[in-house]
Amino acid sequence: MPSGWWLRKRHYFLYVVREFTALPMALWLLWLLYEIKSAGAGPAGYQPPRSIAFVVFSVICFAFATYHSGTFLKLAGVIMHVKVFDRPVPSKVIVLTMFGLWALASLVIGAVLIGFAK
Amino acid sequence: MAEKKSATKEKRITIKTTRFDPDKDEKPRLQSYDIPFEDESMVVLDALNHIKNYVDGSLSYRWSCRMGICGSCGMMVNGTPKLTCNAFLRDYWPKPIVVEPLTNFPIIRDLVIDMDDFMHKLKSVKPWIIRKQELPLGAGEHRQMPAQIEEFRQFSQCINCMLCYAACPVYGLDDTFLGPAAIALARRYNLDSRDQGLKQRLPVIAQPEGVWECSFVGECSVVCPKGVDPAKAIQQTKLDTTLRFTLPYGNRD
Repeated sequence: MPSGWWLRKRHYFLYVVREFTALPMALWLLWLLYEIKSAGAGPAGYQPPRSIAFVVFSVICFAFATYHSGTFLKLAGVIMHVKVFDRPVPSKVIVLTMFGLWALASLVIGAVLIGFAK
Repeated sequence: MAEKKSATKEKRITIKTTRFDPDKDEKPRLQSYDIPFEDESMVVLDALNHIKNYVDGSLSYRWSCRMGICGSCGMMVNGTPKLTCNAFLRDYWPKPIVVEPLTNFPIIRDLVIDMDDFMHKLKSVKPWIIRKQELPLGAGEHRQMPAQIEEFRQFSQCINCMLCYAACPVYGLDDTFLGPAAIALARRYNLDSRDQGLKQRLPVIAQPEGVWECSFVGECSVVCPKGVDPAKAIQQTKLDTTLRFTLPYGNRD
């Protein structure tokens, strides 16, 4: 298997990008855990990074997280085999439900965070 | 006069095929053949047959039915795994076509691959109906409702052509992986209401080299010439085996 196999096809390339996105996201989440630990010590211990580089890194991580989550939720339609009244639920319905729940969860978390900030 | 000449000029196409004789060659090489492209219905397999019949009889490749059923003539056509009986020259002409043996398998000669690994893996998932106790023939047939057939129908379309193995980079990187077709066929029988062999197949498909080796590239389902979705079979098996492991009474038959 040549090392450049993933450049041979668009599908392979997108797969490798999908898998790679987990790495910067993991780094960002590690930082978040560190921040949560720091926040536990009170306002004095909590000093969020304000550098441009970190903002850029966060924006990239957000794009990666969106791409990774989108691909994951699309695959739910392939993986899940749900029946209602003995009839299989179409994949599209499962995928749309997943994206709907994702949007709802994002709204709830956003509202909770904004509520706490106030 | 010039128009008449060009109208009667024979249409031709270049086929580059892998040649490899293990007794003479250190590694495979490509050889070009310029052949007539006689009619629009010609497929890559016709081109190979033309080469074998009229140009170079030593060219070796597998084929049988010429109608997308036997699964023998799978090869790499311009880098994509395809049944050569289903790859039309018109889709490539006037560019040359490169025909190579299926990737991820050892080459025996020219376009012929060694399929032993696949055959062993296929056999290991017991792709046949298993009954705990065989009923006498006089007891009648095992009846199924159309909905029960629909559960597994698409997975039963697999023709063991191995295109999915050639498309799978996971198998290419680690050939201990059970692979797409074997798992799809295991699922086909596990979903069959007549079958009772799930617990015999589980140790093979649920091991790390089984479904868990797959990282869902999905190319197996893209290249399948019969519309089977092995990626779906693998992911659904992952979910099923997880539920069997985690849910109370999940490991029941």
